[in-house]
Amino acid sequence: MEAKVAVVNGGAGGIGRAVVRRLAGAGYVIFILDKNQQAGREISDQLRDQGCQAEYHAMDLTDAAQIKNAFAEILSASGRIDLLVNLAGGTLHKHPIQEFPLSEWREVIDVNLKATFLCCQAVCRPMRGRKSGVIINTSSNFGITGGAGRTAYAASKAAVIAFTKSLATEMAPHGVRVNAIAPGLTATARVMSRYDETDWRELGRSIPMGRAAQPSDIAEAVGFLASDESGYITGQTIHVNGGMIFN
Amino acid sequence: MGRLENRIAIVTGAGQGIGRAIALGMARQGAALVIADLDETNAGAVKREIERVGGKASALYTDISNEESVRGMIDHTLNEHGHVDILVNNAGIFPTNSVEEMAEEEWNRVIGTNLIGTFLCSRAVVPHLLTQRSGRIISLTSGRAFQGARHGAHYAASKAGIIGFSKSLALELAPYGITVNVICPGITDTAQPRGHQTEEQIYAQGERIPLGRIGQPEDLAGPAVFLASDAAGFITGQTILANGGGIMW
Repeated sequence: MEAKVAVVNGGAGGIGRAVVRRLAGAGYVIFILDKNQQAGREISDQLRDQGCQAEYHAMDLTDAAQIKNAFAEILSASGRIDLLVNLAGGTLHKHPIQEFPLSEWREVIDVNLKATFLCCQAVCRPMRGRKSGVIINTSSNFGITGGAGRTAYAASKAAVIAFTKSLATEMAPHGVRVNAIAPGLTATARVMSRYDETDWRELGRSIPMGRAAQPSDIAEAVGFLASDESGYITGQTIHVNGGMIFN
Repeated sequence: MGRLENRIAIVTGAGQGIGRAIALGMARQGAALVIADLDETNAGAVKREIERVGGKASALYTDISNEESVRGMIDHTLNEHGHVDILVNNAGIFPTNSVEEMAEEEWNRVIGTNLIGTFLCSRAVVPHLLTQRSGRIISLTSGRAFQGARHGAHYAASKAGIIGFSKSLALELAPYGITVNVICPGITDTAQPRGHQTEEQIYAQGERIPLGRIGQPEDLAGPAVFLASDAAGFITGQTILANGGGIMW
């Protein structure tokens, strides 16, 4: 049987690396799209060393032309895309609203929401053509609760949920499922670097399960949504947050 | 190696429909099953079905609305299997009546089974899960919890109650590594909707569901196995809707 193909944008990030490892373990051929060239090459080399098929594409995920070209290349190389995981994004800028420059606000929306839109758009046609496919987008607990200083991030992550529901409705007749994951506080290097050790421990203790998520916790939810085990689930958001917030 | 190897799972209402599919799904992943059901004949049939494929199961009459009976279910589980790891609160009833016509007895019966039964079974397993400092409680709700049910106010209330109950219990048990989650099916091809809808009405609803069909009991087995497995160890207090996109939450 021909191996399934997964494209993971943000696949070189803290959560991304756990996701691509999980998917490679499930037998997917992996294409990583990420702006971080060093991390992208490292993780794709690691996967190949372990006998998995993986390829890294350096890219700015706010650049529509770059996205279009990358997906065209992937399709011509592999002939199919079975799974798209949109992980790239982040808070990027945090300011009180009266001090939030429009350029930065727009950047947050572009990275978290527009990149998701563009990548989804790029796979919709091939997935429709094959009458199968899975798309997994990334929201956040902040998309539900909001957060002071995070008007842009929270808006973008709430928008991902509504976007996911809408695309799920559009794609369901074509056999394509679209869902979202919403990680809570997750122990990636980028997030942990914002806290000193004591604050980080305190923060973990404030979560009902007593700790932040490990990237592997998020990767397992992606693995579930990618699999046939969730074959009747579409348009939903799976929160992986140790009970921080409930859907 | 199954993902639920050496786990003991109780599934209430496992004699048929969604409960049966969840029990079979968990057995395929290596769990030993307690098939708890009001209908002993059905429960016995599912037990034999599991055994035929090399699984381990026991069956017993259980009325989840009765404290004594629930205690018996736990005693049986411990005697038969030694411990308990997973509880699936699946048993439920769905009689129909307008609120105006609804007798208090019927209200009590629906709340008593669907909501209080879920409480009783959960309360009964909690001490054992706390001792082990591990475990899973998975309860079944319904789309009616979100959208209401014409002539099923008691059912909708009981199913919404299960969500509020589960979130609260998730908070209580999270410090011990025990997760509590809810699965929400849409209309499913079981006996339940046949109590108040024709075959035609049931299948016609598939056209309004984004994935183009009504649910099959097996559609709920995957989510239940996932939530019961180690892979979902950091997911708690959540409601997973496995409904073909019928309601997106």
